[in-house]
Amino acid sequence: MISFELTEEQEIIRSTMREISRDALSPEARRHDLDGAIGTAVLDTIWQAGIVQAQADRESRSPVSNVLVLEELAAGDASVALAVGAASGFVQAVTDQGSEAQRAVFLASLEGDRFAAGTIAAMEPDFVGDVTRPATRVLRSEDGFTLSGRKTMVPLAAQSTHFLVIADLDGASDAFIVDASATGVTIEARQALGLRGLGLGEVNFDGVVLPTDARLGEGNGADVQRIIDGARVGLAAAMLGLSRAVMEHIIPYTKERVVHGSPLAQKQKIAFDIADMRMETDAIRWMTWKAAWALETGLDATRLAQLAYTYAGERVMQIADNGLQSMGGHGFVEEHPMEMWYRNARSLSMLESVAGV
Amino acid sequence: MVDFSLTRRDEELVALAERENKIALKHARAADVHSIDGALPFALPHPDVAGLQDPFEALANDHEGTSSEVIAEALMMISSAADADLRDRDHAFGSLVLEEFGTDEQKAKYGHLKLAIGLTEPGAGSDPSMIRSNSRYDAETGDYVLNGEKTFISFFNIYDGAVTLVRGEPDEKGNRPFHTFVVLRGQEGVGKVPSIRKMGMRQHDLAGFSMQDVRVPEIAKLSADFAKTFSKFNHNRPLVAAVALGTCRSMLDFTRERLEARGISIDYAKGAAGRSAAEDRLIRMEALWEAAWGVTMYAKWKQTQVGTPSYDYRTEASISKAIAGKAARTITQTCLDILGPEALSEHYLAEKWFRDVRIADIYEGAGEIQRVLVAREMLGYKRELN
Ligand SMILES: Cc1cc2nc3c(=O)[nH]c(=O)nc-3n(C[C@H](O)[C@H](O)[C@H](O)COP(=O)(O)OP(=O)(O)OC[C@H]3O[C@@H](n4cnc5c(N)ncnc54)[C@H](O)[C@@H]3O)c2cc1C
Repeated sequence: MISFELTEEQEIIRSTMREISRDALSPEARRHDLDGAIGTAVLDTIWQAGIVQAQADRESRSPVSNVLVLEELAAGDASVALAVGAASGFVQAVTDQGSEAQRAVFLASLEGDRFAAGTIAAMEPDFVGDVTRPATRVLRSEDGFTLSGRKTMVPLAAQSTHFLVIADLDGASDAFIVDASATGVTIEARQALGLRGLGLGEVNFDGVVLPTDARLGEGNGADVQRIIDGARVGLAAAMLGLSRAVMEHIIPYTKERVVHGSPLAQKQKIAFDIADMRMETDAIRWMTWKAAWALETGLDATRLAQLAYTYAGERVMQIADNGLQSMGGHGFVEEHPMEMWYRNARSLSMLESVAGV
Repeated sequence: MVDFSLTRRDEELVALAERENKIALKHARAADVHSIDGALPFALPHPDVAGLQDPFEALANDHEGTSSEVIAEALMMISSAADADLRDRDHAFGSLVLEEFGTDEQKAKYGHLKLAIGLTEPGAGSDPSMIRSNSRYDAETGDYVLNGEKTFISFFNIYDGAVTLVRGEPDEKGNRPFHTFVVLRGQEGVGKVPSIRKMGMRQHDLAGFSMQDVRVPEIAKLSADFAKTFSKFNHNRPLVAAVALGTCRSMLDFTRERLEARGISIDYAKGAAGRSAAEDRLIRMEALWEAAWGVTMYAKWKQTQVGTPSYDYRTEASISKAIAGKAARTITQTCLDILGPEALSEHYLAEKWFRDVRIADIYEGAGEIQRVLVAREMLGYKRELN
């Protein structure tokens, strides 16, 4: 029965996250961008909100609730949204697909009161790469596997305790849990255009020896597409939040700014761009909810996830672009968050696999 | 709880609409060719087309167990589309205005008639404040006397008449209020205009009429003023979106089938860089379709929540119409381009869909008008944005 009604619990989650985002994230976003890191106080606040830990409960965890969270967080700071999304994605993958032993080990690490992250390492430092065809390879050895390859755009690379590495095994994508301190693992910070707070990095796996139980799901292997689908929906939700931030900033700005005798917002080109921002954020939201609903109900979500991700990617860039344009030079300078959002929009819409729901 | 599944009853009704559409598709080319000069010369309405059940009658008779009556209606239109064009004939817009705002006496007199909606004039389309048709009360006879010209009136030449919007006499401040009247075809002073030739939607008859000292009795004057008449658009705009989405669905299915026949299958798992150009473009068009589907369903869901007469879903209705109107243009243009020159041939319906659906971003408020409405609401503006 078609319904857009949130549960009471979801309404509470949404308003709580909206508050955290407004009070704790927005004011810090520029600093995170300049520092190239998210403040530990912010991360701990998020950790204590219990979002990441909640992903360990297969029964109660809800992709629909998760997209609400990511939208709200990204409206404040997209880097924080993706930090949460990345850590959540790791926990979700282990919860959903890990063997009993794997679940026991990794989910125990969630018990502390400081932010503790595992992240997914999927993208590779290669132009025109496709996340579904990794060049990183795992070969079978006598008592386990050896992993070789390079991963890039890994969120919280320096802070992660574990990586879930997407790699080719016997010609198909599979996933392996790799300890960040294992021999042969080297991590290099690689700042990028946007999402600078996220601490993106490159991780090199040089003949890393893995035990048999490093393979997610052990004997059966992992359903990597499920991880990618969840991440596409998560990224769409983050793009939604960022789009909303631009829209909410541009409304008062263009109403106050007087150019050629009238407020900018009264000029039709600007007003229509603003109308488009509202229309497109609505559209992205319902596509994201629908894809999350498909994940939640166990339907095949690959198509809906791809469509939501693709659409959000096109529109968030357009929204940030028009937002920047309507601020003129003020959109280009660091005094306003717009130039950061513009960089973040391009980055968010090109990443893959970094924010599970 | 957020839910995008259809109920069993939704599915039954959608299946009915799909079946009608399938049959209508067989007649679509004939309808397009034979109705160039106006109304179809042969009967196409549903019992003749399908020989089955009229899906909209089925909905009206039993909407128990649907997601809601208005949601089911939109779902059905998305599944049947303009080729069947079933609903337009049965849900005359003017009749809906009469049904909602007429008195019992007026309904008794006009309720059995099919009434078009007569708003547009040669000098007044997007801007109804330019409407110059007028009415004058004749105290001697108790009649109203109407003068003016209406154009682009759907189905006027095949319906019984129209509910038409005209200016009344000036008040103390010199403002001329809007009034609505029932005007009947063939009535003295109502001039006939031949059906208008057009690029697409040819089975959808379009005409106009002139009014020269048309005398109508007092009972012909409805209580629907400007705002009331236009409030009906909130219900209808997402349905215009739904019809456009139906046609776009046909276009997308056709494109996907033809690509697959040439060995190009669509893989939704791959990343963008791994796709062929044709695959990538089709995926983007499908995404656009899904975007329009979402805002249309949301507008209808919100209508269900706040009630049809409420104004509280007007922005969502505009959003749905604006996104779907633009999507319809982009999807049909792009699909032809993906398929290449063979798609232009009249041997297929694709070129017809391209022509038909273009109107979606114009009538019932062009895309620009929807954006004015959305932006006004967001910015707290009224006349300062126009
Ligand atoms: C097939 C068909 C069926 C129709 N059925 C009916 C019917 O049943 N009853 C009826 O009353 N009318 C009907 N119409 C008329 C229809 O509603 C009008 O054509 C429509 O409202 C646009 O008006 P217009 O054609 O006069 O264009 P104009 O008002 O001249 O507008 C032209 C273009 O200018 C742009 N524009 C307009 N206003 C603005 C603005 N404020 N800001 C920026 N851009 C703007 C838009 O792009 C618009 O398309 C029908 C038309 C067609 C073609």
